[in-house]
Amino acid sequence: MRIDETHRQWFIGSVVGLLVSSLIYAVYAGRSPQGPHGGSRMGIIFGVVGYIFMIFAGLLGMRKKFPIWRIGRAQTWMRGHLWLGLLSFPLILFHSGFSFRGGALTSLLMTLFVIVILSGILGAVLQHYMPRLITQQVPMETIYDQIDRVRGTLLGEADVLVAELSDPVKMQSIALQSDTEEIGAVSTVLRLELEATEELRDFYEKLMRPYLAQVGKGMPPGSVLSSAIESKQNFVRLRTLMPKVVHSSISDLEDICEEKRELDRQSKLHKVLHGWLMVHIPLSLALVILGLVHAIGALRY
Amino acid sequence: MSTNQIQLTIDDRQVTVDAGTTVFDAARANGIPIPTLCHQQNETPVGVCRVCVVDVNARVLTAACVREAENGMVVKTNSDKVQAARKTLVELLMTDHPTPCARQQHSGDCELETLATTIGASQSRFPKRTTPTRGKDDSSLSIMVDHSACILCDRCVRGCSEIRHNFVIARQGKGFETGIAFDSNSPMGSSSCVSCGECMVSCPTGALTNKRVIGQHFEQFANTDAVEVRELLALPVFKGVSGTFLELNKTAVSKRYFKAGEIIVREGEQGSTAFYILEGKVNIYISTPRAHVTTEDANEGLLSKLKSRLVTRKNDVRPEENTHRKWIPIDGPVDLAYDDPVAELVAGDLFGEMTCMSFYPRSATVRASTDCVMLEMLRNVLDVLQKNKTFRAQLDVNYRKRALQTHLKSVPVFHGLSNDFVHKLQDRVELIRYSPGQVITRQGDLADSFYLVRIGFVKVSEVRLGGELVLAYVSRGNYFGEIGLLGEGFRTATCTALDHVELVKINADDFREMLDSFPEIRGNLEAVARERQLANQLRVSQFRSVPVEEFLNQGLMDAQSLLVLDLDRCTRCDMCVKACADAHDGVTRLIRDGLRFDRYLIATSCRQCRDPLCMVGCPVGAIRRRNSLEVIIEDWCVGCGLCANNCPYGNINLHEFSVDGPVQQQVGQAGVSQSDVHHKATVRKATSCNLCHDQGTPSCVYACPHDAAHRVNPTEFFAEMLGNMTPVAPTETQRKARQRKVEIPGNKI
Repeated sequence: MRIDETHRQWFIGSVVGLLVSSLIYAVYAGRSPQGPHGGSRMGIIFGVVGYIFMIFAGLLGMRKKFPIWRIGRAQTWMRGHLWLGLLSFPLILFHSGFSFRGGALTSLLMTLFVIVILSGILGAVLQHYMPRLITQQVPMETIYDQIDRVRGTLLGEADVLVAELSDPVKMQSIALQSDTEEIGAVSTVLRLELEATEELRDFYEKLMRPYLAQVGKGMPPGSVLSSAIESKQNFVRLRTLMPKVVHSSISDLEDICEEKRELDRQSKLHKVLHGWLMVHIPLSLALVILGLVHAIGALRY
Repeated sequence: MSTNQIQLTIDDRQVTVDAGTTVFDAARANGIPIPTLCHQQNETPVGVCRVCVVDVNARVLTAACVREAENGMVVKTNSDKVQAARKTLVELLMTDHPTPCARQQHSGDCELETLATTIGASQSRFPKRTTPTRGKDDSSLSIMVDHSACILCDRCVRGCSEIRHNFVIARQGKGFETGIAFDSNSPMGSSSCVSCGECMVSCPTGALTNKRVIGQHFEQFANTDAVEVRELLALPVFKGVSGTFLELNKTAVSKRYFKAGEIIVREGEQGSTAFYILEGKVNIYISTPRAHVTTEDANEGLLSKLKSRLVTRKNDVRPEENTHRKWIPIDGPVDLAYDDPVAELVAGDLFGEMTCMSFYPRSATVRASTDCVMLEMLRNVLDVLQKNKTFRAQLDVNYRKRALQTHLKSVPVFHGLSNDFVHKLQDRVELIRYSPGQVITRQGDLADSFYLVRIGFVKVSEVRLGGELVLAYVSRGNYFGEIGLLGEGFRTATCTALDHVELVKINADDFREMLDSFPEIRGNLEAVARERQLANQLRVSQFRSVPVEEFLNQGLMDAQSLLVLDLDRCTRCDMCVKACADAHDGVTRLIRDGLRFDRYLIATSCRQCRDPLCMVGCPVGAIRRRNSLEVIIEDWCVGCGLCANNCPYGNINLHEFSVDGPVQQQVGQAGVSQSDVHHKATVRKATSCNLCHDQGTPSCVYACPHDAAHRVNPTEFFAEMLGNMTPVAPTETQRKARQRKVEIPGNKI
């Protein structure tokens, strides 16, 4: 979610909440002879409020499971998730009296909490900047789940193009149909056909096809076509070898490579934009469950 | 020789003929041929072509067809002088005639070109016409008019007036611009021509030729018989149709035999023929179960099933609009009752007119309930029949007796009409036909009648500075013309036939009498008129506000509500798509892909166009818009896919799903009642965004956690930025890439 002026109210509310709780904590800490700790009345209150905020933040996941339930707009839940989740961190610190030590469970909880908060902040930063980056860098963006299908279509198109360019009869036909100024274009095509076609096939089979056929959405390591500059150099070389009448087909092949690069770029950016959730969501779930165990254990014993 | 006879010499032969005989007839009666073009034995001679010139030893040569023979007259039909004059005349005619003309190309019997070859005048000494030719008229379904091939012999004019008494064709224009004209120089297809074909068979050249129905042919069914022309002419409905025309078009009509229970046509199928029932009875019905698209059964997993049970949906139920229709319009002489969509057609009924004339998909399934004999015809024959007075009269009687009442009462605002008043109207209403493109009422004209649409689609538009603004499309079961009659007495919009349209016209006096007799109907009509005027004003105000050409190029100006995704905010989480699927039983109605406009993605989801092309052609009137913005697809959709094809933005999709419902295939068979035939069936229906009208905010917008999805009025939403931005025009590579993406199969979640 982009954090902008529309978050002003949540920001002010959170700052006020932080100030008020800090003030209360300061008074409470000053009046506690043994120092602030989780077992004190005030500590328990900070812990419960912080845990409620954590629960609310965690409920965003459940909210997404029922997107059409009219229980508040999803963006409101998301704002609550961001700001109350963030506010829960100082509250839990106030609960523990800024102590990370204690039993194994307490230490584990605090460690998890720090990771969850940091991953959440990372996610917020990514969600703030990355959508614009994707928009700018991937003008031919497609639906993420369709990337493999589009890649397959590109491969099919390239196969057809290369088959046409490798077929001497079709080449002759292209030469005849073209409105070329070169006198003797047909004979030029035929003369160059053998060597140029071999070169094209070699390029396609060894470089381009493996690049386009790359299964998965990551960049194939080491492929020269994954670099826009090197790709351009290769296609310039191809154009000099091939007769002018087929240059537009070469350009089509170049465009296909460009689109494949964009798909790879989109795939990479998408993974970055959503990858942090792989850490954030399971740890958040663990945090909420262990937090409940901690609360029950502490209150009972 | 009697006193009434005369003697004359033709080419050195003494001949005796009755007094009053023309030289031409005298020669022909005695086996002496005189070439002619404008003269036919069954028409009054006019002597306009002068090709039949003969030398009667007078000051000048004379036209044999109009010159009466005289006693003692010496006629030379083939002297050098006559031959030279005739050759010059033919050469002059050939200079103004395309060579070869259509007739010469097809059958090699253009009389002018044949004559020119015979007398050695094929190569004219005179230059061809250099001014633009007079053009062609392709508007008639059965006759092609090539004015440039016309030699102004007037044979068609006399055939139309003297033989057929139709008085449609005459000459128009002066000098070099002279030509034949239909009515007041209307295109032939929209004139009062009844397509009898007399002009075509009279024409000596390729100016009036029979139009082959290209690309249409009857499949060879086992139960098909070719029909002889005399058999057709013996049928009352073909009375008055030209035998020559039928001979030329005999492959366009066939006799079909169906056994009881046999399916004749199926709803949703493509077709190009109409059926006229000669003997027997048929059931006409919609077999597709009435239902909205759902995939409840397809939900997998406990959570999905639980959600499906917990969340109550009211898709496309609009109690506030009270739109529950009691009648479903179909392409036949009757409407079908919503609750029991089966009707019976009998001998003398015609069905499939819209499919035949405008190639719309079949609107209903027709099954023979007894053994039947039918005429199946292509549209050139149907067109001729529909213009035939006998056939029209029979259809009119059938319509007035059987269909007018249900048709009137199927329109919600007329529900309160008494039977007595309908009977009164039966004799007063007019059934009027319009051809595609013909203007029915013109903005600013005096409002003199009210119209109910019986067949076809009518475009209602308003002419404004900057172009035409389409206000609505009106189809069967709807009406227009009430605003002018209720208001200031002038038409506020222009109504144009989009295809072959048939209207029920109620004149202003009857309309007013109806309103006076039924105040409730007056109230309803006034309320509808107010709503329409308000909606029109809104459209016009929006139309004026943003005149940006680039904005128009993406079709955004035409949209009333766009689903836009702010790409700077959108994390591509697809919550919008998931929410849409959840809101519509697992079938999403949006695809997160489409054109970009600045930083916004215009998602593939219904735009609620001002000019909703999707509504044109629906054979059962299942796609509509009423008072609300959203496009509604009713549950009697037959899944023909025409709306999806018509949508320029690919925003309507077809889905197959299973449904329990009454299946009409067996209704009507012995011992089977409506309630007996429920079973599960797979049906195909169209879906489109309904704006989640039952839930307030659209689910896609409500469920977006990043404040990226918005349903907006584009003219308001983009108004500020239009001043300083240019829409992103896709490059060639991007265009190709998008073409690949729109092929994304299926959008089920």
